Amino acid sequence: MLARFLIYIAYLLKNAARYQRCKRFFYDLLENPKSKLKSRFDIFMMVLVIASVSSLVYEVEHDEGVWSLYLENVVVSVFIAEYLLRMWIYSDSHQLIIDYYEHCEYLSIRFRIMTALKKVIAKKLAYMVTPFAIIDLLAILPSYRPLRILRVFLIFRLFKILRYSQSLKMFADIIKSKRFELQTLLIFLGFLVFIASIAIYLFENRSEGGTVDDLYDALYWSVVTISTVGYGDITPLTTGGRAVTMVLILTSLGILAFFTSIIVSAFNDQINGLRISRTFAELENHSGLIIICGFGRVGQQLAALLVADRQKVVIFDISEQRVEEAKQEGYLSLVANATQNDMLEKAGIKQNVSTIIGATGNDVINVYITLTCRHLNKDVQIISRANRHENVAKLYQAGADTVIEPFIVSGLLAAEYIGQPVAFEAIIGILHGQKNIVLEAVKVKAGSLLEKKSISEVDFHKQRLSLVGVISQNAKHLKRKNRYVIKQQHFYFNPPMDFKLQADDILVLLGRATSISHFRDQIEQSHLLG
Amino acid sequence: MIRYAVFGFNPMSVEAINRLDCNCVIVVDQAPECLKQAEENGLATAPIDFRSDEDLKSIGIGKDIKTLFCFFPDDSDNVFLTLSARAIDPELHIVSIVDDPDAENKLLAAGANKVINPYQICGRKIYEWIKKPDITNIVDHTVFGRQDLHIAEVEIPEKSPLEGMLISELQLSTRYNLVLIGVVDKEINDELHFAVGERDHRLDADDILVILGPSRAIRLFRKDVTHVGKN
Repeated sequence: MLARFLIYIAYLLKNAARYQRCKRFFYDLLENPKSKLKSRFDIFMMVLVIASVSSLVYEVEHDEGVWSLYLENVVVSVFIAEYLLRMWIYSDSHQLIIDYYEHCEYLSIRFRIMTALKKVIAKKLAYMVTPFAIIDLLAILPSYRPLRILRVFLIFRLFKILRYSQSLKMFADIIKSKRFELQTLLIFLGFLVFIASIAIYLFENRSEGGTVDDLYDALYWSVVTISTVGYGDITPLTTGGRAVTMVLILTSLGILAFFTSIIVSAFNDQINGLRISRTFAELENHSGLIIICGFGRVGQQLAALLVADRQKVVIFDISEQRVEEAKQEGYLSLVANATQNDMLEKAGIKQNVSTIIGATGNDVINVYITLTCRHLNKDVQIISRANRHENVAKLYQAGADTVIEPFIVSGLLAAEYIGQPVAFEAIIGILHGQKNIVLEAVKVKAGSLLEKKSISEVDFHKQRLSLVGVISQNAKHLKRKNRYVIKQQHFYFNPPMDFKLQADDILVLLGRATSISHFRDQIEQSHLLG
Repeated sequence: MIRYAVFGFNPMSVEAINRLDCNCVIVVDQAPECLKQAEENGLATAPIDFRSDEDLKSIGIGKDIKTLFCFFPDDSDNVFLTLSARAIDPELHIVSIVDDPDAENKLLAAGANKVINPYQICGRKIYEWIKKPDITNIVDHTVFGRQDLHIAEVEIPEKSPLEGMLISELQLSTRYNLVLIGVVDKEINDELHFAVGERDHRLDADDILVILGPSRAIRLFRKDVTHVGKN
């Protein structure tokens, strides 16, 4: 009966959307490293820990105030709540029960309620013995009055900070990566301390005329000496004792050097990875990222333009020197091969990247980048540079949206310049936004004041705008002349006065930036009102 | 008659030559295999040394050739060529590409009229594609592309019927199927005055109109501007 009730509850929880949402929320709050909620919660907890420890320090010499009592209560309740919540989200108990139940059904054995509960409790216990859980518990326990003796463990609250600070966690990870070396060193050190303590005790005990009373003194002396601190409260007086000291000092120098080098090399090994993960962590908070692969001259030019336009840019290059250059310019950059799936995924190609640019001088790499990115994300915009004309088709085939050929474009511009330098400079000036006149696209939104209006009704001249043409896919315009077919779109140059605008047509307008934005605002407003 | 000299045969020069679309181009390159390639493409070539003034003169610089393209990969070669050609003919139009951005000023100092930086242009182009995909798409396929829509500049001669007219009276879009982009009044400065939203401008001789439209319309307009003026 009880067993059936338990299974019923388990299935109920599994299908309860609100329960799942709730659990999900607390997961985001406490554990999900990608959620913004967690980072805020971490800061809050750090403040709480520091406040509680500060009040503790204050109490050492002052009287316990009412406020500090309140604070203590609040802190402890938060800690307890946090501890329980973490335990709760650590495992899905109902899932364990269901799994066990289905397992029993399948093998047609009896469902034992004790076994089920044991499984659940085992899982929770597994959580309780993790280092962080122990620290959490030790931070709570001392506030229980009968256990006042554990006050010293309040210091563990400071260790709790570890949990909330990413960089401290990284430090711990680095130390962990050198576990083997450190273990070796520790064993050797223990051995050395042991020998030194025994030796100094033998040579320097009271009966030999020394100052060492017992083995504890000997241990204390050898640790002080090995660490090169050497307080000098216990000094060797006998010849034998001094000989031991000299040997110990020289050996301890070696050990310290060894220890330092382990830590330094651990950092050296990890620092690159650390930097990269830092950069990736920064990337996660942005959307609409633009990845530029290759920081050559094209990449540099492009990055400068995009950054001036306040776009978020990341630079990938395989050359460390170039990445260094990019960093000096202040760009977010990584020594990374843009053809590696994991690098692109970490940069968020599936979520927050909007555009990828293959700007390297090597078409083979550009094709490979294009192919990799297209494979990872079907919708991302890919623009690639083609250095040789025969590779354009390959890039399109690999999935590029747009292919740009620097040398072809340049040759074209050189020829275009000839014979009409004034017109050329004018159009280039407009396109580059160097003059205050710009060429802009404005969309006719459904329900806005432009829809179903003819050109003569929209007085462009009064708006101080000049209509160059209309881009449209609408079949209604097809019989108009001055039609230019461009990819899948149709461009109607200089449309006549009776040209009726349809929803989703795009107007190509020439005018001052201010007039265009004013015009756009009007459309937006009428669209909202309509 | 040879009117354009292209120094350096590479994809860039091929595109430029295609665009010029006439049989009045001569190709010069130091590498014999490049010259051979150019010949296979049906282009006139000259196996001369660009470092020699005599050789330059022999292909017509200083006489028939009005425009020089310096498409050598090395900036130093382009600077040297620009310098030599400018010394021979002060009126020559010289367009050069540049590899290192620092060399741009050197080329201008040597006498180039226009310096083109392929990397800069490529960077710009990608930026435009990100920023304004629709506009860039249209412009690339019309003005810079194969479609029949071009920009042109039309200078107003003395006694042209357009003299004394206001810009607003031109009505180019209805009368000629052209869009007027702006006017350069040489008497004031070389700046372009845009046709819309600015103070109305009275046209006089030597003003340059910058227009956009199909080539037929441009030809027609150009004829009307100059032809009537002669009467």
